[in-house]
Amino acid sequence: MTIAVRPGPIDAGALLAAVGDPRAGCSVLFLGTTRSTNVGRRVTRLEYEAYERMAVQQMRALAREAKRRWPLRRVAMVHRLGVVPVGEASVGIAVSAGHRAEGFAAAHWLIDRLKEIVPIWKKEHFRGGAVWIGAQQGGPPPRRRTRAAPARVSAARRKRLR
Amino acid sequence: MADDIRIRVRYFASLREQLGSGEEQVVPAGATAADLWAAAMRRAPSLRRTRVRFAVNAEYVDADHRLAEGDELAVFPPMSGG
Repeated sequence: MTIAVRPGPIDAGALLAAVGDPRAGCSVLFLGTTRSTNVGRRVTRLEYEAYERMAVQQMRALAREAKRRWPLRRVAMVHRLGVVPVGEASVGIAVSAGHRAEGFAAAHWLIDRLKEIVPIWKKEHFRGGAVWIGAQQGGPPPRRRTRAAPARVSAARRKRLR
Repeated sequence: MADDIRIRVRYFASLREQLGSGEEQVVPAGATAADLWAAAMRRAPSLRRTRVRFAVNAEYVDADHRLAEGDELAVFPPMSGG
């Protein structure tokens, strides 16, 4: 299981290679990338900070939980730290599974949960200023959720689809 | 009279910019995460609007969690990874 929090570009090919498994019928790769605009602001770059040892622990726990929920083969997750220029990936999640339904579901659940419980923060630098994303407009909405059962995950997932 | 304990506090992101990255503190035994945060907010009253979460030794805890000698208390503003 490849789990890491570190500076430097994310190697999508390496993530896919990390979940390679001859018993898998699919690999799903999610990359979260820096958008050039956010709530009307012209974004120039994002800058990420983490409580590193806890972030890695939480990502490992999420990978274990995903494997309990779905019949997955392998999981790999990398979150980038420091400056991430527009167009580049800040987070990469790869899963392999016997069939695509569980592969897509697990990858979707993993990125949603990562945003909720992994201690990582982004500062958005835009034309004319910079702001920490989180509590205010532009960040994920503040929301409380107990450990979601699969049925509730799909409800929340529909809400979060953009 | 309760003994004092030595702990380390860490702040992140927007909290770090206002309070610094954290420091060692000597606090009364039985102090909670919320007690420490209340003291920090007295230094920076604008933080009252921030919803925070706490972790002790890299595990999430409730605000009423009692700190012990040597603990590392981390205070998080709303997270925004991804």
